[in-house]
Amino acid sequence: MRASDQVIRFDGASKCFVTPARPEVWALRDFSLACPAGQLTCVVGPSGCGKTTLLRLAAGLDFPTSGRVLMRGRPVDGPPDGVGLVSQEGTLLPWRRALANVTLGLEIRGMGRAERRAAARAVLERVHLARDVERSYPHELSGGMRQRLALARALCPNPRILLMDEPFASVDEPTRHHLQGDLLGVWAADGQTILFVTHSIEEAVYLADRVVVMTFGRTVAEIPVPLPRPRDRLSQEFIDLLLLVRRAFTEHVDAKGGDA
Amino acid sequence: MKAKRLIIRLLLGALVPVAILVVWHVASVGSVVVPPIGAVIEVLAHPLREPSALDATSLASGATISVLRVVCGFGLAAMTAIPVGLWVGRSRAAMDMLSPTMAAAMVISPIAWIPVTIIAFGLSSPATALYGDEHWRYGLLDQLRFAIVAVIWLGAFFPIALNAAGGAKRVREAHIEAARVLGATRRQVLAKVILPSAAPSIMTGLRVGGGIAWRVIIAAEIFPGTRGGLGYMITTAHEQASYQYAFASIVVIGAIGLVLDAVLRLAEHRVGRWQPKER
Repeated sequence: MRASDQVIRFDGASKCFVTPARPEVWALRDFSLACPAGQLTCVVGPSGCGKTTLLRLAAGLDFPTSGRVLMRGRPVDGPPDGVGLVSQEGTLLPWRRALANVTLGLEIRGMGRAERRAAARAVLERVHLARDVERSYPHELSGGMRQRLALARALCPNPRILLMDEPFASVDEPTRHHLQGDLLGVWAADGQTILFVTHSIEEAVYLADRVVVMTFGRTVAEIPVPLPRPRDRLSQEFIDLLLLVRRAFTEHVDAKGGDA
Repeated sequence: MKAKRLIIRLLLGALVPVAILVVWHVASVGSVVVPPIGAVIEVLAHPLREPSALDATSLASGATISVLRVVCGFGLAAMTAIPVGLWVGRSRAAMDMLSPTMAAAMVISPIAWIPVTIIAFGLSSPATALYGDEHWRYGLLDQLRFAIVAVIWLGAFFPIALNAAGGAKRVREAHIEAARVLGATRRQVLAKVILPSAAPSIMTGLRVGGGIAWRVIIAAEIFPGTRGGLGYMITTAHEQASYQYAFASIVVIGAIGLVLDAVLRLAEHRVGRWQPKER
């Protein structure tokens, strides 16, 4: 992969947090990863392995203690242009109605009112949110609808890069499957570079072109998933890959004996 | 059935005022100080009358003066306290610097500052500033003495600022970050995230500050050395032993305070509508 194809790149990035409770917490240790354009990469790992930290570094909300984080070849020194972020929950602005939440990105850019409302309505349709939720406040919507709304908000300004932090984790399973399908639909049409973080191995294998296994702040394996989409979760190939990923975890956790 | 509930609630609400009227009536029989209810109502029914008992000004103009003084002092307080409060809430350095002083100043009754403001501002007012020696011609403007407006400002500023600071401090980092990732500048974060998020707290501060401002103005007008307004009318009426005018002023003060509080509460409720019901 040429350097110019690497849309997102972590180069030996490390991140240390100093808290009153524990003196030195290394969320990331020498983390390296390169995401080529248009690829859907899933990072899988247990809670506390540094997954959220790595997305925050990519989004420019925090900076590495050592090493580099690059977007389109340039070091990240603040939230970069053309990047959309979808978090697990609670980032919608509760004082704005649904449509106003979706238009936030365009509003920040100075787009006119009629234009951005039209764009927002188009995006809401793509994530399968009915028009009548437009005037609802986020607290009036179900969890699944709120996540669709968060996705719509991120997609509205047409970002070329999507960073997703366990976006479907707080949603029930059937809804999660629908949301995964909707995400794949959008990605098939737009071809963004997606970095998707999750603790669910099944979700990672279902979505990704490539699964990156992560524990204790570093990558331990990269497993390509060459299966055609839509994928059958019960097929032999799917289950084989699940087991492959799971084995990558247990081997490395056992080997390292849970060092902190 | 809903109508029946409403009627019961209204009747319950009327119980205490009716009891007060009964006690008043009983007390007024044969009393020199307590005026009969009828006399007070008669005064209230003619708010534009200018009796000598009230230094030849009318109840209506007294009320206007008091209200205008509060509007000026409270308005200035809101315009200064909200930016200061937001700044203190968002800046650790500002909070360390200003918060102790503001907390200490807030517990000092604004009335205590009146001698200081009179020394500082004397009798100056917008009228003296604009028209110099001719200031006495411009009655209303002349009544908006800086000394008095400053005292109102002192009463309202600190609760507004402290509530604004609290609201600004409690803004969720996740909301700010969401806006930043969408490309917001610092000014846009302030306008689109911090201000709306802190708005309910600011409204609470305005309601508290407004109540304080109304109580302070009456006390300030009773304080010797000031002229005009409802508080002044109360002392004048007492001096003239025309107690029906004093009682009437008290009724007006209570009524205006009630309206002010109701309006601010309504605004507070509407601004805070998006918040989760349980805290």
